[in-house]
Amino acid sequence: MAVDTRLFVAMTLVYLVIIIGLGYLGYRRTKESDDYMVAGRKIHPVVLALSYGATFISTSAIVGFGGVAAQLGMGMIWLTVLNIGLGIFIAFVFFGKRTRQIGHKLRAVTFPDLMGKCYGSPFMQYAAGLVIVLGMPLYTAAILIGGAQFITSTLQIPYTTALLAFAAIVALYVIIGGLIAVMYTDALQGGIMLVGMTVLLVLTYIRLGGVVEAHTVLAGMSDLVPEALAAGGMTGWASMPAFGSSIWLTLVTTLVLGVGIGVLAQPQLVVRFMTVKDSRALNRAVLVGGPFILMMTGVAFTAGALTNVYFYQTEGVTALAAATNGNVDTIIPNFINASMPDLFVVVFMLALLAAAMSTLSSLFHTMGTSLGFDVMRRTGTEKATMRPIRLATVTMIVVSIVLAFIMPGSIIARATAMFMGLCASAFLPTYAHAMYSSRPSLRAAKMSLATGTAAWFAWTAFVHVKESAALGLSNLLFGVPAVLSAPWQDVDPLVIALPLSAAALLVGWALDRHEVTADTEESAGAA
Amino acid sequence: MFGITDPAIWVGYLLALAFTLACLVYGLLNWNNGVEEQRDGS
Repeated sequence: MAVDTRLFVAMTLVYLVIIIGLGYLGYRRTKESDDYMVAGRKIHPVVLALSYGATFISTSAIVGFGGVAAQLGMGMIWLTVLNIGLGIFIAFVFFGKRTRQIGHKLRAVTFPDLMGKCYGSPFMQYAAGLVIVLGMPLYTAAILIGGAQFITSTLQIPYTTALLAFAAIVALYVIIGGLIAVMYTDALQGGIMLVGMTVLLVLTYIRLGGVVEAHTVLAGMSDLVPEALAAGGMTGWASMPAFGSSIWLTLVTTLVLGVGIGVLAQPQLVVRFMTVKDSRALNRAVLVGGPFILMMTGVAFTAGALTNVYFYQTEGVTALAAATNGNVDTIIPNFINASMPDLFVVVFMLALLAAAMSTLSSLFHTMGTSLGFDVMRRTGTEKATMRPIRLATVTMIVVSIVLAFIMPGSIIARATAMFMGLCASAFLPTYAHAMYSSRPSLRAAKMSLATGTAAWFAWTAFVHVKESAALGLSNLLFGVPAVLSAPWQDVDPLVIALPLSAAALLVGWALDRHEVTADTEESAGAA
Repeated sequence: MFGITDPAIWVGYLLALAFTLACLVYGLLNWNNGVEEQRDGS
């Protein structure tokens, strides 16, 4: 590849030395379990914003979803709209402040712990912890795969070595330094990502002759859309797919809504709201977070779509045709390698490594605390001890590594969307109810969590054909890859499971209120 | 707009920029708000 390997290795070593240094700093500042779990509740707002953003944006968002934008076009910008509007503004202003206040008051240290304490129910803590322990390794493995693929292609080392070394380095500072180390390293990684994506945007437009010129050429390429994609409803790379077509449904329901809404209830992000001392820090973090996300996904999706112009002008083919073995995850790295100066290739590769590490470290930490604290010790009131949590973290890391060796290589974007869909379906109504109800109903929460999780799994395993065909359960039981036909089999599980989860919450809440009213009337009658 | 003819795309870009601006304005306007809660909550 084009990158100067010696330069990349030298810069990576410097970067790793700083990362390990920050990990050690986290270790020195971790005196008790609150430090390990919620970073002592005194994180600086800029560190919070960069950590939240860097965790939110993985290699998957840049390489995986950037590759999807190269394939499906600029319609992906709607995901950026939701990323900033919901993922930052609504998340920080409406959820973040309540989470911090309530989490601080109840001394909650994890997302499941927060749920358990809000509802006064160890069951809620245990169940939420279990959803994380069972669902998050899928996403973690996808991040591991993305990171290892990138290291393999950049450094020309065996895939197994890359995967194990990548996991080991991140595991080291997560296990010893807890959330302080994770957030400090996240902030550095976020800074590197910001530099990388800013340069990518500027150089892409310079390379393609300017903003208007690049967009005009892209808009004029609509007759080059491959037949298979045109049949699915794609109209070009600078226009939305035909309304209601299978590609429109995938773009809007899975990619835009699935990922855009899913981010609101991700445990590894929610816990960050509890790491600051006051709401002022959250207000200040909003100022940094919005522009940061715009420069991440906004740039990735724009540059991703524009790779079509570059490959057409230089090789006479579309980006998809230029992808290695048809894998869309290779489009962005191929574009960078082919079109950018050597020094920037190194900077961008470092940014990708940073993106993978920042997300991975947060997932390792969240899975470890969920297993070691919420699932194994669901007492709810006792103070956490660090040793079992560190052991649980090691266990979950091993599980994720094993899964990464089993899962297919082109799963990055899909696994990300799946995890976010599961989080929103299982947790979002319950989380919102806990934050905004003065007397949250436990029955409503249980019904919502169970309904959302069950509906998501059922739709994933039996209807949404992209997953149900791969899982094989539908074929085994019913002899067909999906039990419903188009357009239902193109509708993302989140679009079905989230409304059902919300409806279950409302039904449970209404039942509770009805019983309370009946009891009150009975008491009044007896008196 | 800027070479993009489909309104469904450029409206998306405008909204992404508008939300970013909203984040900036909100952060600036509330730069020093929210300290009291800490004393209440502690």
